Amino acid sequence: MKYVLSFNLNGLPVDTLVKATDTLLDVLREKLNVVSPKRGCDNGDCGACTVLVNGEPVRACLTIGLTVAGKNVQTVEGLQQDGKLHPLQRAFHEHYAAQCGFCTPGMLIAAKALLDKNPKPTREQIVEGISGNLCRCGTYVEVVEAIQAVAAGKYKE
Amino acid sequence: MKDVLYFAPTELTEALKLLAQYGEKATILAGGTDLVPRINYYELKPEVLVYIGNLGLDYIEQSDGKLIIGAATPTAKIAASPLVAEKAAALAEAARLSASPAIRTAGTIGGNLANASPAADLATPLIALGATVVLVSAKGEREVAVEEFFKGPGETVLQPGELIKEVRVPIKKGKSVFLKLGRRKAMTLSVVNVAVYVEMEKGQRCVDARVALGAMAPVPLRCKKAEGVLQGCVLPMSALEGAEFLDKARIEKAAELAIAESSPIDDQRATAWYRRKAGKVLVARALAAAAGVAI
Repeated sequence: MKYVLSFNLNGLPVDTLVKATDTLLDVLREKLNVVSPKRGCDNGDCGACTVLVNGEPVRACLTIGLTVAGKNVQTVEGLQQDGKLHPLQRAFHEHYAAQCGFCTPGMLIAAKALLDKNPKPTREQIVEGISGNLCRCGTYVEVVEAIQAVAAGKYKE
Repeated sequence: MKDVLYFAPTELTEALKLLAQYGEKATILAGGTDLVPRINYYELKPEVLVYIGNLGLDYIEQSDGKLIIGAATPTAKIAASPLVAEKAAALAEAARLSASPAIRTAGTIGGNLANASPAADLATPLIALGATVVLVSAKGEREVAVEEFFKGPGETVLQPGELIKEVRVPIKKGKSVFLKLGRRKAMTLSVVNVAVYVEMEKGQRCVDARVALGAMAPVPLRCKKAEGVLQGCVLPMSALEGAEFLDKARIEKAAELAIAESSPIDDQRATAWYRRKAGKVLVARALAAAAGVAI
């Protein structure tokens, strides 16, 4: 049994056929070839699949695809505008806030979710904001510095 | 694998009809944070998914001296609600400390209870605050105290066809406190968690005390013996008459009794021995903070 799933992905309407148990991560990666959300654990622990649904950060691996029907989903693919990287992307780049890069899409989305709600977070709030995102390379310090730099207005849109 | 059916009703009556129709085959889906990993890892093979996120059960209201929280209200919303912070401090704190931002956005209060983890962070404050859950089915509605809702790990009094509609938290005069010990600060399950409620008459005599322990028994536990030794006690400097003094020794006695009522296990997060030691300290700290006693 397949169901039609329609939602907005990075501002564009998409339709796809899904099974009831397909997660949003399955839908994005396997059906739509949107591969910035990574399948780290499929268990909600690692945060590498974090995406925004109606502006709120969620785990794509814990979200049944059909539940996002009619909603707005945003991934790293939708961060850049007119070919220009998002301030967070530039800051991550310049602060070496990635080593292998597997956690980076989730980190970027978690950081965006934080800054959208709280543009001037304290260091503690930044740490809390990315507390659900694991980095096996240990780039946390650089990630926090990159987010701090964006919050300080060093990277304009 | 057999095809799985999916329904996303937009009316409660419609949802209850589906739940009645499919009975035990129906799996209720809300935030999915506990359910979907089990599907991903083939521990659970659902036949019918009924998504309750479109039923309008996402609300926090004050009515009739109670805080009414819809079952599908996300933990993040509870953590951010000034109303919850003011009227049910322990619940707000438990919500704030649970999991991580992206889990709190999705995970719901109803799901946290229905999943019936012995370590469910929202269960202990709800027990300490004397909250109830409203269960609805096609046959009608019933209200069950949260402390009587759990039957064992993953088991509740919920019947096939039944759904948690909302949680009702009585708004009381006393002070509630929630403390949690995890393996680390964030994104962690409770090794032990404690919620207490203490009401002091004129700030000096304890007229109501409730103590709840999480991750210390097969179900979130209310510790009535511990509550009993606090009842009627007065602060040492008080002019009020009371059975006994509410001092450091009394609070430690209550903490000891609370732990005596518990039956923790060894698991990957901690040993039973450690849970007892740490749990006792946590109960004492929570009671001291709620009663205004220095320990």
